[in-house]
Amino acid sequence: MTTSDASTGVLRRDRQEGWIGGVAAGIARRFGVDASLVRLAFVVATAAGGVGLAAYLLGWLVIPAGDSRPTRVRIRTGRAAVEVALGTAFLLLAVLLTFRALGIWFSDAIVWPLVLIAGGGALIWRQSMGEREPRPAPAERTPEEIVRTESRRAVLAISRTGLGIALVVAAGIVFLQATGALGAARDVLFAVIAAVVVLGVIFAPWIVRLVRSLTEERAARIRSQERAEVAAHLHDSVLQTLAMMQRRAGDPAEVAALARRQERELRAWLSDRPAPGKSGTLAGALEAAAADVEEQHGVPVEVVVVGDRDLDAAHEAVVAAAREAMTNAAKFGGGSPVDVYAESSDARTQVFVRDRGPGFDPDAVPADRRGVRESIVGRMERHGGRARVTSGTGHGTEVELVLERS
Amino acid sequence: MRPDLTSLVAGASILAVGVILLLDAEDALDLRLSGFVPLACAAIGAILLASGMTRPR
Repeated sequence: MTTSDASTGVLRRDRQEGWIGGVAAGIARRFGVDASLVRLAFVVATAAGGVGLAAYLLGWLVIPAGDSRPTRVRIRTGRAAVEVALGTAFLLLAVLLTFRALGIWFSDAIVWPLVLIAGGGALIWRQSMGEREPRPAPAERTPEEIVRTESRRAVLAISRTGLGIALVVAAGIVFLQATGALGAARDVLFAVIAAVVVLGVIFAPWIVRLVRSLTEERAARIRSQERAEVAAHLHDSVLQTLAMMQRRAGDPAEVAALARRQERELRAWLSDRPAPGKSGTLAGALEAAAADVEEQHGVPVEVVVVGDRDLDAAHEAVVAAAREAMTNAAKFGGGSPVDVYAESSDARTQVFVRDRGPGFDPDAVPADRRGVRESIVGRMERHGGRARVTSGTGHGTEVELVLERS
Repeated sequence: MRPDLTSLVAGASILAVGVILLLDAEDALDLRLSGFVPLACAAIGAILLASGMTRPR
C-alpha cells in the first residue's frame, strides 16, 4: 500500500513504503520509478558535500505526507527503466564532478569507493528482494513463452548481480589504490587464494558428497510429494467411483455412465488438461464439486461463497480437499444436508464443510484409510495450507481448510 | 500538438553546450576539461532521463 497520489500528479511523502521520512518512496511513486534508484541518488549526492542529505531534509520539510488512500502505480520497466537509471547516473556524476572541481569534496579515496559500493550494493539488494515485474498468469502463456521469459529473467538476474559484485570489488580496488595499500592487499589476496585452494583440495570430496546427498534428499522429497498427490487423486476419483459401481452393480446403465465419466476425468488428468466442466474460479469450482457430489450421492449440498479468485495450483488443492470433505459428509453424514461456506480475500482463503450427521472420532480412523489423512490434511499441507477436522459422536463434522497467502 | 519532451531536452542541452563552447572560443569563458566533463554528463543525463520518463509504461 502506498500513499502518494500518482493519478493526480501530486507529490507526497510515502511513509508506509519509506525507510526514514518517505521522501524517496514518494518521489519514486510520483514518477513511476524504482524507489531503490531514488534512495541511491540521495546517498550518492550526499557524497557531494552533503547535498543529498540537505535535499532529503528539505524534501521531508516541504513535501506533505500522503493520506492512506491505496493507489496502484506501474513502475517503469525494460528500456524506460534503463534510460531513467542511466540518466540519473550521468546527472549524479555531473553533480559529483562539479563539486569536486569546486573543492567541496571529502576525498577521492572516500567518495568514489562509496559511490561504487552504493551502486553495486543497490543492484545486489534489488536482485535479492525478488522480481517486481508483473508475471502474466500461467494460463495466458504458451510453454515457449514461459521458457523465453524465464531465460530472460535468469540472464537479467545474473547480469544485475554480476554487475553489482563487480562494482563493489572495483570500490575496494579504488580504495586500496587511493590509500596506497594495493600492494599489501595483493600479497594478502594471494595468501587467501593459496589457503582456499589447499582447503578446497582437502575438503572437496566431503563437499561433493554433501551436495550430492542434499540433491538426492530433495529429489526424494519431491518424488514422495508427487506420489502422495497421485495417491490422493486416485483415492478421490478412481477408488470412489469403483466403490459406487459396487454399490450400484444392479443397474448396468448407471455403472456404464460412472465408468465413462471416470474415464473422461482420468484421461483429462493424465494429459494435464482441465477436467470436463471444470471452472476457472474458486466459486465456480466449489459449486461444480458440490453439484457433482450431490448428483453422485443424492444428498443436498448448499454452497455459499464470499469473494472469488482465479484458480491456481494451491486453490485447486483447496477445491479437491473440499470436494473430498463433501463426499465424506455425503457418505457418512446420515443423509443430512451438507453446508459449504467459502471466503476468499487477498490474504487468505477459508472453506468450511459441515454436516449434521452422527460424527466420528478422528483419532479412531484406521491408518490405511487415506480420505481425511491424505486427501484433505496431507493435500492442504503439501500446498502450504492447513486443515482441521472437528467431529464428535452425535455432533456432526466440520472440516476447515485454510490457505494463507504469503 | 504536444511537444516531444525528449527532443526539447536534447535540443536545449545541445544548445547550452554550444553556447558554452562558443563563449570559450571567444575567450569570454575559461572552460577546462574539469568543467566540460560534468557539462557533457549533465546533458547526456538530462536527455536519457527525459527519454525514459516519456516512454510509455
